Amino acid sequence: MKLSSQFFSDLLDSIIVDVASECHRIARLGLDHNLEEEEEELRLSAQARARVADPSNSSEANSKYTVDIFGQTHPSIANEVFECMNCRRSIMAGRFAPHLEKCMGKGRKARLKATRSSTAAQNRYSRGSPATTYSPYSTSTRLSNGTLGVAGHEDYPNGTSEEP
Amino acid sequence: MKHSVNPPPTPDKDVAEAFEKDELTLREIINIKLVESGEKENLMELVRDRLVECGWKDEMRIACRELVRKKGRKDVTVDELIRVITPKGRASVPDSVKEELLNRIQNFILSAAP
Repeated sequence: MKLSSQFFSDLLDSIIVDVASECHRIARLGLDHNLEEEEEELRLSAQARARVADPSNSSEANSKYTVDIFGQTHPSIANEVFECMNCRRSIMAGRFAPHLEKCMGKGRKARLKATRSSTAAQNRYSRGSPATTYSPYSTSTRLSNGTLGVAGHEDYPNGTSEEP
Repeated sequence: MKHSVNPPPTPDKDVAEAFEKDELTLREIINIKLVESGEKENLMELVRDRLVECGWKDEMRIACRELVRKKGRKDVTVDELIRVITPKGRASVPDSVKEELLNRIQNFILSAAP
């Protein structure tokens, strides 16, 4: 019946107008996720992630240049110097824990100093050490860049510790 | 196209219209009966539900979103949306939904016709 089709068309048009009106409202109010904005956000967050993941930005290598959330930069090794209470040396704060390990007797070298003369211990240094009785380590096989697989190593008063 | 959103005009006014007098009168009478009996409201709700169930409304919203993206969120108008959506909307109603509604309307007309 033609008449019922007409009524159906009217009904449908009303519903279409409602849907269009609803979508228009959502669009103008920005309620629906706006694809353009989202694409922009995705791009920016991808950039940020790339910056974070980039190895040349790691604090180890670039500690002088990367900046924390307060805008301050810190060196990657704490550089305040104080005196070791065991051996009276001047030690950098960031190097203190490994120093203490050697200095107070965790390592093989520290225990050895009780059984060997201080002169003999000194002769093992490959780099030439200061003449103290508490220089606990270094062997002839040790390379100057400290590749013994030890986490850190003793610092010398002139501050010549190497980075791995 | 605004018959269903405007309140039905009084029968005297309609009879005074020049063209398609009989059809218009009949149509208007049936429209009045639809509204007064509440069947119009029932039909609207039924169509809405069916069109949501079958995904028609989602398709329309996607089409709207595309147009919004094209024209810009702040520049798109309701009229534009209606103009673009209507042909798509009319064409994409599933046959089962259309049939169900047509049957219901027909039944109503047959039972209400003078």
